[in-house]
Parts: sequence; structure tokens; C-alpha cells
Amino acid sequence: MSGRRTRWLVGVDVGGTFTDVVAIATDGRRLVAKVPSTPDDPAEGFLTGLDELVAAGVEPGDVSLLFHGTTVATNALLTGRTARAVLLATAGFRDVLGHRGGRRPRMYDLEQPRPRELIARRDRLDVRERIAAEGTVLEPLDEAEVGRLLDEVAVRRPEAVAIALLFGYVDDRHERRLEEALLARFPGLPVSRSSAVAREFREYPRTATTALNAVLRPVVGRYLLSAAEAIRGRGVRAALLVMTSSGGSLRAPRAEAEAHRLVLSGPAAGVAGAAAVAVACGVGRAIALDMGGTSVDVCLVEGGRAPMATLQEIEGQPILAPTIEMATAGAGGGSIAWIDAGGSLKVGPQSAGADPGPAAYGRGGREATVTDAHVVVGTLGERTPLAGRLVLDRGAAGEAVGRLAGRLGLSVDATAEGIIAVATAHLARAIRSVSVARGVDPRGCTLVAFGGAGPLHAARLLRELRLPAAIVPLHPGLLSAAGLMAADLRVDEAQTMLRVLEPAALEELVAWFAAARHRIDERLGDDGIASGRRRYLAAADCRYVGQGYELSVPLDGTGAAALRRLAEAFHAIHRTTYGHAAPDEPVEVVTLRLSGSGALPRPAERELAAGSGRPATDALHERRAVLLPGRRTRRPVPAYRRERLRAGDRIPGPAIVEQLDATTVVLAGQEARVDRRGNLLLAEADA
Amino acid sequence: MRARALDPVRFEILHSALLSVTDEMGAVLKRSSYSPIIREMDDYSCALFDAGGRLVAQGDFIPSQLGAISLVVRATLARHRSTLAPGDVFIANSPYVGGAHTPDVNILHPVFRDGALFAWTGTVAHHADFGGPNPGTEGADLNELYAEGLILPPVRLYRRGEPDAELFDLIGANVRDTVATLADLRAQTAACWSGERRLAEVVEDHGAAAVETAFERALDHAERRTRAALAALRDGEGEAEGFLDDDGAAGPPTRIHARLTKRGDRLTVDFSGSAAQVPGALNNPWASTRACVVFLVKVLADPALTSNDGALRPITIVCPEGSVLRPRPPAAVSVRHLTCQRTADTLLRAAGAVWPEKAVASGMVGFFGINAGGTSPRSGRPTAAQDVVGGGTGGHRLGDGLDGVDTYMSNVGLLPVEVAESEYPMRILRSELIAGSGGDGRGRGGLGIRRDYLLLEEWQTVTLYCEQSDPRFVPRGAAGGGDGTPTRFRVFAPDGTEMRLRSQKVTLRLPRGSLVRVESGGGAGWGDPAERPAPLRTADEADGRV
Repeated sequence: MSGRRTRWLVGVDVGGTFTDVVAIATDGRRLVAKVPSTPDDPAEGFLTGLDELVAAGVEPGDVSLLFHGTTVATNALLTGRTARAVLLATAGFRDVLGHRGGRRPRMYDLEQPRPRELIARRDRLDVRERIAAEGTVLEPLDEAEVGRLLDEVAVRRPEAVAIALLFGYVDDRHERRLEEALLARFPGLPVSRSSAVAREFREYPRTATTALNAVLRPVVGRYLLSAAEAIRGRGVRAALLVMTSSGGSLRAPRAEAEAHRLVLSGPAAGVAGAAAVAVACGVGRAIALDMGGTSVDVCLVEGGRAPMATLQEIEGQPILAPTIEMATAGAGGGSIAWIDAGGSLKVGPQSAGADPGPAAYGRGGREATVTDAHVVVGTLGERTPLAGRLVLDRGAAGEAVGRLAGRLGLSVDATAEGIIAVATAHLARAIRSVSVARGVDPRGCTLVAFGGAGPLHAARLLRELRLPAAIVPLHPGLLSAAGLMAADLRVDEAQTMLRVLEPAALEELVAWFAAARHRIDERLGDDGIASGRRRYLAAADCRYVGQGYELSVPLDGTGAAALRRLAEAFHAIHRTTYGHAAPDEPVEVVTLRLSGSGALPRPAERELAAGSGRPATDALHERRAVLLPGRRTRRPVPAYRRERLRAGDRIPGPAIVEQLDATTVVLAGQEARVDRRGNLLLAEADA
Repeated sequence: MRARALDPVRFEILHSALLSVTDEMGAVLKRSSYSPIIREMDDYSCALFDAGGRLVAQGDFIPSQLGAISLVVRATLARHRSTLAPGDVFIANSPYVGGAHTPDVNILHPVFRDGALFAWTGTVAHHADFGGPNPGTEGADLNELYAEGLILPPVRLYRRGEPDAELFDLIGANVRDTVATLADLRAQTAACWSGERRLAEVVEDHGAAAVETAFERALDHAERRTRAALAALRDGEGEAEGFLDDDGAAGPPTRIHARLTKRGDRLTVDFSGSAAQVPGALNNPWASTRACVVFLVKVLADPALTSNDGALRPITIVCPEGSVLRPRPPAAVSVRHLTCQRTADTLLRAAGAVWPEKAVASGMVGFFGINAGGTSPRSGRPTAAQDVVGGGTGGHRLGDGLDGVDTYMSNVGLLPVEVAESEYPMRILRSELIAGSGGDGRGRGGLGIRRDYLLLEEWQTVTLYCEQSDPRFVPRGAAGGGDGTPTRFRVFAPDGTEMRLRSQKVTLRLPRGSLVRVESGGGAGWGDPAERPAPLRTADEADGRV
């Protein structure tokens, strides 16, 4: 070896059940580990995963970057274990957080629980001040009022403070004055102000997002601090990069200040992984399908990029932040099948979870799940080593499905096939919703199926939705961890403008972009991203004057020339999305957005050795009787071991490909091909 | 293909595909519409019908429009069946051909396959203004239908895909915000067309015969589910009465009465004891009364019940013509949503009399609404600002009611202040919860809202209305819980003096600087207040809720 040391990129994805770790070396070596997550102290599972890598030969000092996907913000939101914060709101409007926009979460449930308030009413304070829609000060914020508020905050001794004043997105001078006074009086106290957290209009989502940021910051901050200390204690000196809901990474010290952007950290990593696979395979339009035990996340990926939603609702909580736009369906491997009062077969959203899990796990689960249906029809074999260790109990699965079959008046086989078909229909509906909503026909999209259960359904979706192809990545169960390393550092700037798009307004828009770019450059510079490695994406959310919802229009530049083309581009997008446009109507710019990303070192690729074009004989694991869709009887189907397949191998359907973290089904009339990176490409044989 | 040819699996798959048709229609309508009442407050519905006009699938939209469009489709068929052509689009809003009130405009589209009528897609949306003397078209004091804006029986808005430019002109000339109204009609039409495209894909995937069978089966399925849910309830009878504050014309209270009889898997709802139709605009058209009954069944029996016409099969609704709940033309109906809310509350209390173990304390049904004319500071166009202010829902066995939300048959959001002040000549000075407004009980009622509107334009025409201002008719507690509070509004002149109002349903021309203050009611409490756990009492105090 030369004197050059091996360097490692490491991705650690802490999920609800498992923590996945992937390490890729500069020489192309790849190590993976899967350890149980430790929800009570997430840093512990993180360290266990790291230790497995060290045991496998990674020198801690050789880790050059450590990427991290975390559920710490998500769990805090779900369990309500958030910090205590004070809200400062314009006098008369502190209850914006209480009536939550005036809608009840469930329409027909008269006994629904009162939603948990992020900040209790006793800690929501009225601020005497008022700014008008056009930014004029109607009532100034005087210093006596500031002093009174500081005293009120002092009495409450909160862990954080949120400031959200009406029209703070137009003019932030009062919010800034409060922030400055709070920081002077309470050094070190996290202060979240709406004009910094989410500079967009509509007071409820903005206030709620600011409050969420405040109540998460202490939790996320503590976790990241302890994680950083722990990994340093192991001798890792690399920077820790945290995945955000937008699919970009943040350096850990910044992640605390943007805690609300970590809520979809895990799913975003999966999409980033799928996007990287699509790009590597030269696929322009793809659908990422992440199917795990309890739920499914589906996302459209175009040109390697996922569409961004600016407002998402998670657990009834609106979050204004660039977030990968995903559809979620309650149909994972553990989703329970049941019969409704009308006699119809349903699947989900109830899930058997990881414990007791499907009946086939033999841990006491009695209800039939999607996994059980796969065991009955034989796509999952008794000898299929699920998640590495589990041995499946076919008898228990058959009994669970049999109980439903009796009530449906169908055979056990037909019921199992039905459960899989209904679950597949849920997936198809989610795929439709993410593509059609963007005016994209799913028939032009390649499916990237991952997660433990995604590859089981890829072939059916391929056929049902008439997709051109489906890709099952090399490690479908570890794609999220790998996706962490595919992400760039990302900084987002956005501001609501509300300007009619006319020549006179262009100057102001151009000026905003210039200022935003300056701020982004400062941050990327601080983060050590050289100017040559920066990329910018500009967009303007527009609507017709009078409309209430915006469509985001990508810009091919931020100068006057690009902005002059904006109206035309908006009409076109409106037509694609909604089927109609009004080219004679005036267009207004609601919000401008600029994101800057800095490319990080990419892991080296390693290619799979070429095979003979057909699977080697030792790749055949067994032939087992499988009931395939559209058939009444089982037929012997070959099951191959994924790790013994070589580049260029072609497998005609029907076939099954098994690996530690997933099982892929190929239907009759389809063919699977192994590409040089090890991806499995499925397509109809006659296509 | 006969219904038997669809096994439970294929049916479920097709049924889910049919629901995706209405989901996708809803997405198109909401996101491309202009009026805040559609786009911010979600006052619209999308649905799919079979060739005969029976409602097959409706997404989860606003309850007051449950099942509503199907009567309009049938009226359209009755009149135009022989001349229907592909690409036709009908518009209708008449409350007496299956509509609700004139601002709720129905847009319907017959879907053809191989030259024959196959299905209908339809949407109904509440338009900000559809003409008439009052901005926003509504007003309790409008005392016949002819005052309630432009009335359209089913007529073609598009013929074979081509817009009827003259009809667009006619509508445009009758409404205050022509641009927004016509754009919203186009958005509704686009939603119908997107539904047609999606349905064509479903047919392509499954075959026309299977889809038609699924239409039939969807109705049977909803019927079976409703029957199963009803059969699971104890047989019994019960009744309740409730009152509207007046008759819409400053007259005496109007009685709503409901008697429920549940036997086996059937339910009879008898409204015969309700008042005759009234002079003011509180009359509830038949489509809306039906919607109230569907709401009851969903709440009582099966919240996940798919809304289609099959769900009504096991239910008999008795209501004589000429009733306030089944008016004859030309009775005025524009604020019928007030009556809907009171009817829903009365039905739920009747259900509580039959099944006391299911009783829930009443929620607020004050339904304060403001419609204000004026010029938009942003677009410079005439507009009609609209807002609806929710209140407290009732406490229940499992906990407290919700604060400041829209209740029962409605679920429109509160107009965001930052939208209101950008789009309308008004300023909102407060929007706060009212301490002590929720009824006491083991589960306390949710709180009402105090909201102040400052009018910024000289001589704005403002229609204001609310119900439940009479202290005799406040939300009633259940199982020993306390009552909620009334809803009322006050109007202050620019110098701060309170104006005397004839009633809580008025249309006024107000000078710049006038202030409207609404205080909506809190919900009632459930259970003995002595049983409220001490830590919750402490929290109530600390949070300034009592």
C-alpha cells in the first residue's frame, strides 16, 4: 500500500426499530451493520452501530464524514416529550395555537381528544404591538412592553421562547427587537422567531412552525451534543451531518437551530438514496417506494430531485419548511387485514408492528398481515431468513389468513392473494397521488422499490401501473443509510412577497435573490464548501391574482431575464397541473425561494463482477411451490440468492430473489436483470 | 357482468379506485380556485354518480353537502336526458331542484362511453357571491328565493366541450367578483373533467362491466354497512326538540323536532313535529335535511361509512312538504346552514335519548357568519369577504371538547388574519378564546372565540348573522354536565358607541371605522363536575380557561 490512508464515509440511520449503518471506503470497500435502536437513549444504538464497524475494521480516525438520519425530533413530536417554551404573540392572537385554524381534526368523531398544545395557554403571552399587511407600524413596540415581557418570561423559566407576531413575514422589526432583548437578558436561551423560522404568510401555520421549532430545539440540541461527545469519545473526529426533511444535510451545530426540519429526516434519507439510484441508472422520472413494516412512503423523483412541499402536516401539526413531498399509505408488511361491516376485505392502517408482529413471526400475533399472506402464497418461504434471523411459521400464517377466509367465503389461497392485491392497490393509489398531483403520468416512471417489503410488491406494481421498469437496489433494507451519503449540504432561504408580476416589481425580486444568495454563500463558506462546489436552485411560488394556493415555478436563473419568463412558465405549469390556465389574468409572486447546496465527497462506486448472463448454479437456493397472481394452483418457482448473482445475469420470471434484508418477486412474463452496480432491474419481457 | 362476479377483493380494489376519482377532483378544485371560502375554508365537495344519478362515491368533504349533488343530477336527467352529449357541462344552484342555497353552485358532467351515458362527475362549491342585494348573497331577512341572487336550474355551461360564452357573460354580470366567480366555475369544470379522465383509466384497467358492477356493489356495500351498524344498536325510540332563535324575520323561535325509531336494521327519522316553513331565509331545503340524517348515521354508527345513496336505503325520513325542513318554493333558504346545525344538534340529542350511554354534550351551533362587501386592497376589484367563526364542541366521556372550531355539519376554517387583511378592506383586532365559556363537567365544553373586525371602507354593506343568541337555547350539558354559552355579536360605531340591532341577523351599511365583535359560544359539559380530576382543574385555572 502507498502511504495514502483509507478514508471512510459512514452513514448511520437511526430508525424506529433498527439502526442501520453503512460505511464506504475510498478503496470501494463497503461494510454494513444493523443493530436494534434504543429509543430511550438514541445515542446508544448509534454507538453500538459504530462499534460494529470498528470491530469490522474501520479505524475511527479514518472516518472523514459521518452522516446521520435521526428520529429524535419525530419521536419527541409523536410522544409529546418536547421542551417547555413561552410564546410571544401579537396581543389578541396568542390563541392562534389554541383554535388551530378553526377546524376539527376528525369530522365525524364527537369524542375526539383535544389536540395537545405545543405551548400551554399559560405560557402564551400577548405582546402590545401591531404591524399592518403592507408593513406599516400601527402600534409600536415600546420598551416598557419589552421590559414587562422579559419579566414574564423570567418568571416562567422556559427552556425556549418562540416569537410569532402578525405580519412578521412582511416586517420583522418587532420580532427582532424582542429576540435581541431576550438574548441579552437570557444568554444561551434558544429563541425562535417566525421571521427566521418560516418567513411565510398565514399566521396559524407560521406560529405553529415557530412553536414547534422552539419546543424541539432543546431536545434536539441535547441529543446532538451527547451524540457528538460520544462519537468523539470513540475517536471519531469527523464532522457530524444531519439529514433534514428536505433531503439535504446540515452540520450538527446548525441542526439544533432548525430542529423542526428534522421531523422527516429518516424518510428523506430513503428518498435521497432512491434518487441516487435513479440517477446512477440514468432514469429521468422515478417513483421511490419505501415499504417497511407499518407504513409506506411514496415520492416522485424527477431528474434526481424530489418535489418539495412547503407546508406539510405531520401528526396534525402543520410544518412550514421545505419538505420532500411524500404520500404515506398505511400498508406495510405488518398491516393487518380485516373485514368491514359491509363484507369488504380491507388492509391497514392498523399494524401488528414489530411486536407481536405478523402471525408468521410466531411471537403471539394472531391477525393476518400482508407478510402472512406472502408466507401463505409462498413468496416468502419458511427458509427465507427474514431480517437476518427470524424463521417464519407457515402454519401460524395459514391459520390467521384462514380465519378471514372462512368469513369471506373464499379459499385460504384466494384470501391471501386478495390481501396482497388490496395492499398493492393501496400502493398504486399512493403512487398515483404523488404523480398525478404533479401532472405526471405514472406510466412514464420507473419504480425504485426498497424497504423490507417494497421488493415483494415491485413486480405487481410494474404490471398493474404499466410501468416501464422497476429497480430493486443492492441493499433495499439499507437504502436510507446509503442515501444519507448521497445528500448535499443544503441551505434554504424563502420569503413571502405578494407582488403582482409586472415589470416594475422585477427589480425588487432580483434584489431579494441577490441578498438571499449572499446569505447562503456566507453559510456555505462557513461550512467549508468552496465556491466551485456550490449549486443554487431558485423558484418562485406563483398564482393568479385572487387565487389562494401557489404553484412553485422553477427558475433557470435569478436575474431579470429569468424572471421575465416567469409568467409564461407559470401558465404552463398551471395547465399541466390543473388542466386549465388563464394567460390573460395577472400573475402574482407569493413566495421566493432560493436553496444553495454544497457537494460533499461521494462514496466510491464498486462494480459487481460480470457473470455468464445466467445465474450460476450455486445461486439457486431452492425451488418452492408458489401461488402466483392469476393462477389457481401453485407451481415450482426458483428462489435465488441475491449475493451470488453477477452483473449481466438475467432471470426469467417467475422467480424469487432472496437476500438478508428483502425478497424480490419476478412474475411470469417478466425478467430481472442484474446491472453492473448490482441493482436488480425488472421489466416485462415483451416490452 | 352480474354483481356476483366481483369477489370482495376485486370490489375493494375497484371501490378504492372510485374514491381516488373524487380525491383527485378535490385536489384540482381546491388548489386552482380563487375564492377563499373554497380554497382556505374548504366549502366544497366532489362526487361520482352512476348513469342514473345515484351517488356512488364522495370524498370526505364538508358534511352539509353529504349526498347533496345527487338530487341535482337526477333533476338534470329528468329534464335533459334525451339531449345529453359528451362534453356537456351543466350548472345549477336552485334549492328547489336539489340544491342547498344559491351560493352553493353545482357543476355536473355526464360521462359517456361508446356513445352511451355511463356516469356523472359533479362538484358543488360555495361561491363568495352569487348576486342579490347582499354581498355574499346570504341574508336571513331575504324573504323569498327571488332575492337570493341568480337562480339557475340545470342548464348547459359547456356544450360538447365548448363554453357557452353568453351564459358566462350572464353569470358574470350578476355577481360581484366576476373574475373570481368565473374562474371558480372553470376550476369546478376542470375538476369534473379530471374525474372523467381518471374514471376512463379505471375502466381501461378493469373493464366497463366490472366498473358498472362496482357502482352497484358500492351502493349495496354502504347499505350493508349501515344496516350492520344499526343492527348493533339497541332497539328503541326517542325524541328531542330544539329551537332557532327566531323565524329569520325577527319573529318567534322556530321549533325543530326529531323522533327516532330504531327497529332491527332500520331507522325512521320523523321531523313531523318541526315548524312549518318560515318567512325568513332559515328554511332548509330537502337536500340539506337529508345531509343532516346522513351526518347522524355517520356519527352514530360508522364514521368511516362511504357516503353514497346506498347508506340511506335503510332509513326512512318523514317530513311533510311545507315544513321548515322541506320547504316549498319560493321560501327563502340562504342561511339554511344555521338550521342544518340546529337540526344536527337536535338529532344527536334525540339519539342521546334513545341511547343515553352514547350521549355527548352539545356543541355550539351559533354559526356566526360575516359577509362584507368592499374593494380588495390588493386586486382593486369588488369582493365579498366571508368568515365563519367556530366555537366550543361538547365535552364527552373521554375528555374535553375542542376550542374554537366549526361544529357538526360544517368544518370550514377560520379566515387567516394575514389573508383577510391582505385581500379585504378590514382589520382583525383579536381572535382569542373566551375564558369560562365552556360548560363545566367531568369533560368540559370547548371554549368560544372573541373576534373583532374593524371595517376600513366607507359605507360597506355587511351581512351579519348568528344563531343561539337566546340564552334559553344554549348548548345543553349531558350526564350532569353544565350548559355552554350563547353566541352573539355586537356592532360599534366609529366613536365606540354600541349600535342597537333589530336582531342577531342583520344587513347594515356601516361607516369606515365601525367595529363588529363576535363572541361565539362555548360547548356544554359532560358528567358531574365534582368528578373532574383535580389536576385538570388546576390546569384549567393556570391556563385561564375558567
